[in-house]
Amino acid sequence: MTDGIRGLLRSRQVWIGLLVLAALLTLPLWVSAYILGVLTIAYYFGVFAMSWDLLFGFANEVNFGPTFLIGSGAYAAGLLNAQGVPLWVCLIAGGAAALLGGVVLAVPALRLSGPYFGLATLVAVLLLQQFIIIFAGRTGGEIGLTMNDVLSIDAITNYWYALTFMTVCGVILYVLSRSPVGLILQASGQDRIGASALGFNIVKHKLAAFCISAVFSGLAGAMLVFYLGTASVGTVVEVSVGVQVIIAAVLGGRRTIVGAAIGAIFLILAGEVLRPLGQLSTFVVSGIALLVILFFADGLLGALLRRPEEP
Amino acid sequence: MPGCSKTDLHARAALVVAAGLACLPIGAVLGQSKEPIKIGIISEESAIAGAGISRAAQVAADEINAAGGVDGRKLEIVQYDDHSSAADAVRAFQRAVSQDGVVAVIGTYITEIALALEPWAARSHVPFITTGAASNEITRHIHETYDKNRFTFQEYLNSTFIADSICTSIKQLLQPKYVIKSAVVLSEDAAWTTPLDAEYLVCLPKIGVQVLDHIRFSPDTSDFTPLYNKIEGQKPDVIVTGISHTGVQPTVQWAQQQLPIPMIGNSSQATSGTFWRDTNGAAAGIVAFSLAVDGADLTPKTQAFINAYAKRFGEAPPYTGFTTVDAVNVVAQAIKRAGSTDGEKLVTALEQTDYVGTIGRVQFLGRDSEFTHGMKFGDGYVTGIALQWQDGKQVPLWPKAAPQSKIVFPSFTHLSPKP
Amino acid sequence: MSMLAFQILIDGFAISALYGLGAVGFTLMFGVSGVLNLAHGATMVVAAVTAWVVAGHYAANPWLAAVAGVVAGVVTAFATYYLVVRPIQRSRSVPTVEKEIFVLTGTLLWGIMLQEAVAYFYTDNPKTVPPLIAGVMQIGGVRTPVNELLIAVICWAVIGLLWLLVNRTKAGKVLLAASINPRALAILGFELSRVYILVWLIYGVLAGIAGVLLATFLGASSGQASQLTASAFSIVVLGGLGSVAGSLLAAYVIGYLETLTAYLISPTYRSMPALVLLVLVLYVRPNGLLGRR
Repeated sequence: MTDGIRGLLRSRQVWIGLLVLAALLTLPLWVSAYILGVLTIAYYFGVFAMSWDLLFGFANEVNFGPTFLIGSGAYAAGLLNAQGVPLWVCLIAGGAAALLGGVVLAVPALRLSGPYFGLATLVAVLLLQQFIIIFAGRTGGEIGLTMNDVLSIDAITNYWYALTFMTVCGVILYVLSRSPVGLILQASGQDRIGASALGFNIVKHKLAAFCISAVFSGLAGAMLVFYLGTASVGTVVEVSVGVQVIIAAVLGGRRTIVGAAIGAIFLILAGEVLRPLGQLSTFVVSGIALLVILFFADGLLGALLRRPEEP
Repeated sequence: MPGCSKTDLHARAALVVAAGLACLPIGAVLGQSKEPIKIGIISEESAIAGAGISRAAQVAADEINAAGGVDGRKLEIVQYDDHSSAADAVRAFQRAVSQDGVVAVIGTYITEIALALEPWAARSHVPFITTGAASNEITRHIHETYDKNRFTFQEYLNSTFIADSICTSIKQLLQPKYVIKSAVVLSEDAAWTTPLDAEYLVCLPKIGVQVLDHIRFSPDTSDFTPLYNKIEGQKPDVIVTGISHTGVQPTVQWAQQQLPIPMIGNSSQATSGTFWRDTNGAAAGIVAFSLAVDGADLTPKTQAFINAYAKRFGEAPPYTGFTTVDAVNVVAQAIKRAGSTDGEKLVTALEQTDYVGTIGRVQFLGRDSEFTHGMKFGDGYVTGIALQWQDGKQVPLWPKAAPQSKIVFPSFTHLSPKP
Repeated sequence: MSMLAFQILIDGFAISALYGLGAVGFTLMFGVSGVLNLAHGATMVVAAVTAWVVAGHYAANPWLAAVAGVVAGVVTAFATYYLVVRPIQRSRSVPTVEKEIFVLTGTLLWGIMLQEAVAYFYTDNPKTVPPLIAGVMQIGGVRTPVNELLIAVICWAVIGLLWLLVNRTKAGKVLLAASINPRALAILGFELSRVYILVWLIYGVLAGIAGVLLATFLGASSGQASQLTASAFSIVVLGGLGSVAGSLLAAYVIGYLETLTAYLISPTYRSMPALVLLVLVLYVRPNGLLGRR
């Protein structure tokens, strides 16, 4: 692709992005509080998925335990809040805790590759879960932790918080992914030997990616629990939540960042739309996701973007 | 819209608003007599206890509607599956309240979920009744911050009451026949069992039973052999249980290993009609606490409900079925009493509940009790029952034993008869 | 004291044998075809629940139900192969480097679908199958259900048969070769697709037996599917991906670690030592105990 075409594409994408953002911003004017609530959760999920995509899409590391980072951030924020620490400080602390957790996990884990790395991340989640349950006295265990404060009682305010948060994170992650750092990550993901032969410090860059992914995941996790009003293993730690994050990112289209957000929103909305199906809604959503993977390997965004690229 | 001028738009808008305002009084009158009253049911459809909630609600609504509805309006049940997830339950609650317009929410037997919904009931000013969650935390929040949390009600005996009921059943059912002087408490490590066990440790010694050990196991334990071996080594007369998340596995392994010590206490899964089949008969001899059962005849409504449920769904209702069918009726009566479906008025009306349901006489405790909005426990109100699995049937043994019934333990059980 | 030791010895043995059977199938699948089947736990659960349905609803005897369960395991395995794994492996839109990840995600999703389907029809309540042989027997003063011993015997018999298959039959040797160097095998004229069919068949049988035995011993529920997969995954990595002997060894290490912890410390902390061990192994010797590569 020449620079000219890339520039054109970029500006068209930016245009579309801005239009979509404007539409989303004004949504509260004609949509019910319930739908706003669903989208609020979807936006936080979008950040989870985008953070995951940075790591996977670029560093090509399958992180089976995004909820290790999300959960660390969420619980750190929640536990501090239980001590009376003001909400905004808790949020920052959540991001910091996730960063710490990410470093602790990544430094040894990045020496591993392939399924071993995946397993290490999975084990991290299981260990976190065990910890929370064993120290149930402090953490609320299976019952979860009730937040003293919430972000807001108003659905519209919560919606705007979530949308703004997702947009800011999305922009930062996207810019990062298209920056020289991002390109190096992509190169190291596709061809590790070649990239290191060119002199790039792969591990350092992957660590950086891990840390960025961690901060955003933790922050989003903290914001989510301050929206819901409770932090529990079932909402921010369990492997099943991590699975949803992975599916969202792959469904949306790997290595696009924006695709991950789209995938997350699609998944959550589909879950709600299919709510009348009751028990079968998870089955159907998983089925749809599986079909997308089988037939549209580039995900939803990939399928959408394919047309302009065709010769 | 293309082609419309600004004044055009303003005029249209004004017309719509005026028309809308004009419709309001008409709508109010019409709505009063025609529109159904919606009640939201949030439950875990893939769990037996959860499915029991939504099914019982249907049975209740159909019966109420057949009898004329509530003040001429039909009751409509709007069902939501929360997939055993607190986040899903919260979303369902939001949808129920703001999209589907329910006047009250009934549901969930999972404490974690009930606690997650409690603040949302407070925020939306919509009454929420849990019909299966036992934790004392639920009512503690109501007692401590009444003005905020008064919208939540617990229509199930809390853990402390459950323990008291079980202790009384041991005293009145087992001790007259067998020597029961020692016990081991075996509970899953969950929030609802903390007050349960605490009360066991108080009420068991009161009936002359020494607690030899108090074991709490992780709810995702699948191999109980180490626990059973440990317990057997301590030689208690009976094992007093507090299990809900588990049930099939500990029971099956108890029978397969032929543990000579009987189990009695809270085993939520054992209250379900499918438990015998699920354990392939290993349930024989298990004594479980529930709120009602086939043949218990607590009130005239008990058996009628069991029959109606079984006829429709092919199996007896789990414990949540009884509480839910009563809860729907309690809400219907509260609406009649309040003359309105407004949340605040409903709460006041609900507090005045005095309803004879399938489980006994239902009343909610007031602000003066530490268990505000919990269910009143005791003789004449709701006491709970003890049932025993025998030959594929749940046989009620306490407080009223079924006619010609007696307590039967499997051959590998060793109990010393009372001299 | 020796009674306790005996109890631990026996209890640990049976549990480890069961873990081993499940893990062997998983590692064989990875070794021969490079597929990490994340629908493994769900496959076991389908087998277990099928056995329960046949035993309960059709009042069949436990052995018949067990066979039905194994058949269900095979059917599920083939469904996984033909509906999910093979389409992804043959897909042209997935770059070769990423095929592994897509197969992972695909089997993950498929596993969720299976799990939900089981829960939809039969709820997530654990299901048990009547023991193949009921009753208890005394071993050195320890009362043990006969079924538990039978499970250990069956597991080892199956593993023995597998060993015979791999080392003594032609088909088995082809399998072994495929796990070492599939390309060479293809060059030599062997149909790789037949090899894959064989390995999925064997996998289905192994997972099916493991699932049915689990149901007779501890019970299985749809909610356990992911835990079973994670557990098999851990054991296999500990033992060394692709090594059958390694998986067996690891299964016993983890089985006994868990049993010792449950008996001597507390059942609540049962899975902790295994997790910690796994972490240590990953950092110190990621190839696992007996891994090659």
